[in-house]
Formats: sequence, C-alpha cells, structure tokens
Amino acid sequence: MLLTPELAARIGEEVAYTAPEPLGRASIRYFALATGDTFAPHLTGEVAPPTLICETNQYAGLPRDEDGYAGHGWGLVVPGTRLVRGGNSYEFLGPIGPDAMITATWKLADMYERITGSGKRMLVVTSVARYTDQTGRLLATNEESLIYVER
Amino acid sequence: MSSAEYPPLERTIDLPDMIAYAGATWDWHRLHYDQAYLAARGLDRPVVDGQVFGAYLAIALREWFGPDAEITKLSFRFKNLVFAGETIRCHGTLRDLKDRHAVVDLRVEVADDGRVAVAPAEATVRLP
Repeated sequence: MLLTPELAARIGEEVAYTAPEPLGRASIRYFALATGDTFAPHLTGEVAPPTLICETNQYAGLPRDEDGYAGHGWGLVVPGTRLVRGGNSYEFLGPIGPDAMITATWKLADMYERITGSGKRMLVVTSVARYTDQTGRLLATNEESLIYVER
Repeated sequence: MSSAEYPPLERTIDLPDMIAYAGATWDWHRLHYDQAYLAARGLDRPVVDGQVFGAYLAIALREWFGPDAEITKLSFRFKNLVFAGETIRCHGTLRDLKDRHAVVDLRVEVADDGRVAVAPAEATVRLP
C-alpha cells in the first residue's frame, strides 16, 4: 500500500508563501526572453505572460534541496517509488503587472492509488495553488498532479 | 461549431534555453543541466522542464488568436520526457467556438520522432 495512514492524514494541509518583493519588470522580461516570447508588453515587462506566476518559484524563498530544487513541495516520503509529473491545470483571472506581490497558497488536495497499464502501483498527489496579490485579488489557480510510480 | 487546425508553433530547446528558463523560474533542479546527476539516473541528456510547455502553449495561443485574446484556462498532461537539443511542435485544433470563447485541443510533439510530449491538453480563450 502506497497511501499509508500517515500520508492520508496529510490531505488538507496548506502552506502559504509571500514573495519579498514585487514580481518586477526584469523578472517578466527574463521569462519572456527565456521562452522566446516576442509579445511587446511581455518584453517590456508591463504585463506578465499568463503562466509565469504558475511556473516561477520567486515567491517561495526556500533553500534548494539536494536535487537543486528550491520550490514548494510537501516532503512526502513514498518508499520504492520514483516521482514523475502528471500535469497542470491553470485558470487565469486577469492580467498581472510588475507591481504584483505574489502570495501562493498551496493545499494538499488529494492523494489516491491507481494501477498503471503495466500493473505497477502509483500514488497520485493533487495539489492546488491559489495566487493572490497584495490586495487579496485572486490572480490565478493551478491544480498540479505529481505521481509516485512503483519501481 | 467549426473546427480548424492552427499552424504549429515550433521551438528547438537547446541547453542555453533551458538554463535561461531555470533562472527565469528560480528552478535549479539538477535534472535540467547536471550530467553526473543524470547519468546516475540512466539519462544521457538534460531533461527539459515540463512546465515550459505551458509557456509555449500560451505563446502559440496568442499567435493563433491575436494579442487581444485572453487565455482563461490552460491544462495539460505530460506523456514523455523531452531532452536538450530536441525540437518540439505545439499543435492546436479548434474544438468549440461560442459566446466569444474558443475551446482548443492542444498537443506537443517532438519533431524528430513524433513522440508525444504533452497530451491531452486544452485551453479556453476569451476573444475580443
């Protein structure tokens, strides 16, 4: 059984991160350059590309782990598995400018077991992030699935 | 309802692109650049950060629907890894169009071998 009682008890956990500074024109421009985005308002940093706040770890302020990763995680331990990305589902509620100070609130929404086509067990972990600015305006949501697949 | 396939957006993702993306997203995971880390996991090339496909799909949608269109929803599932140096194509087909909202089926493929990187995927776009 991958979904132990200890793991199941964590469903519903929440954690919030607030960026120590506004998103900033430089961050927007850097993201546009890195993705080959030629849309002028992105290259000048006036408006953020819609997926930026769902992709960046700018807000997290976490030390990088042994894998070099410095973004949000739940620190789940699932012995005998490897971790793969499942997918993301974004909802965008309006344009985001460089002055936005992002708060990301992550919730561990669900965990359940499935069997892969090749008969291996896997644990699907669904998290939901809500991104707000310094006025409390909801900017975007991001439902993310990570999958722990039995080795 | 009508349906149309849009001209695919093509990107070759070289290691400097991946390094730039890692910096721009504050994501320094070793999968994306560290050869020794990759070799220990049986991988011979850096792995492209899957989240970048969201950015590419958003760029494609803007090219297809114009600068005044607004993406309201975007979802995608990962199928296969993509590696440094590979070329990908973002495909889109109009599924539904009503009340100034377009629903688009999306897919990302690797150009060299047709491997599916991202599918299923879809977006909703509010038209001006």
